[in-house]
Amino acid sequence: MKSASIAIGIMVGLIVAVVLCIYANRNHRAKSEYDERQKEIRGRGYQYAFYAICIYEFIMMVLGIGDIRFPFEPYLFHFAGILIGVIVLSGYCIWHDAYWGLNNNRKRYAIIFLATGILNAIPVIGALTHGGLTTAPLLNLMVLLMLLILGSELLIKYLVEKREAE
Amino acid sequence: MKNLRLKSARAAKDLSQEELAKLCNVSRQTINAIEKGDYNPTINLCIAICKALDRTLDELFWDEG
Repeated sequence: MKSASIAIGIMVGLIVAVVLCIYANRNHRAKSEYDERQKEIRGRGYQYAFYAICIYEFIMMVLGIGDIRFPFEPYLFHFAGILIGVIVLSGYCIWHDAYWGLNNNRKRYAIIFLATGILNAIPVIGALTHGGLTTAPLLNLMVLLMLLILGSELLIKYLVEKREAE
Repeated sequence: MKNLRLKSARAAKDLSQEELAKLCNVSRQTINAIEKGDYNPTINLCIAICKALDRTLDELFWDEG
């Protein structure tokens, strides 16, 4: 029953996200534009993300063959693979100045980033206050961890650029 | 290899990297990478830079060495 409610929650979240993306991009204004160097970097980023996911899936396969079990639901491992790909791609693009497109409004992205963080933090904080860390929804916790990693990288990169400009 | 000719042509026009980048519709970091010799631009971008700086391809990008 719990699994079914998680699956329904994910599907509803996905549908809402797709609808919001279509709405935001109705005039093709939300689509990021990149220059030729950025496109090249992003291509390499996708390549590294692909390798990272392949390596991760291979390790998980070997662990599966070895019948090594973890006290987590299997879907969390698949989700972790997706997040690893996102972190590798975004991290590579951030450090090579290809994360922000030419037409991106960084303030708007910061708001989306913050809203995603808050939406994922609510169930985690709720679980922590009621039952402790063991009952915290790991899916939201993983998203928060990803946001924390990417947010830190963006902040450090911003500070480095600011220092260089001075 | 650093492109000092591009840097001096930009300075002669009194343009910042950001301003030149906007004229060429690229990011400031791309102009910086070209000046530092970290990125080889395509011919289209070379032409856009030359037009923005009123220089020829030879003057900015031809390697005489």
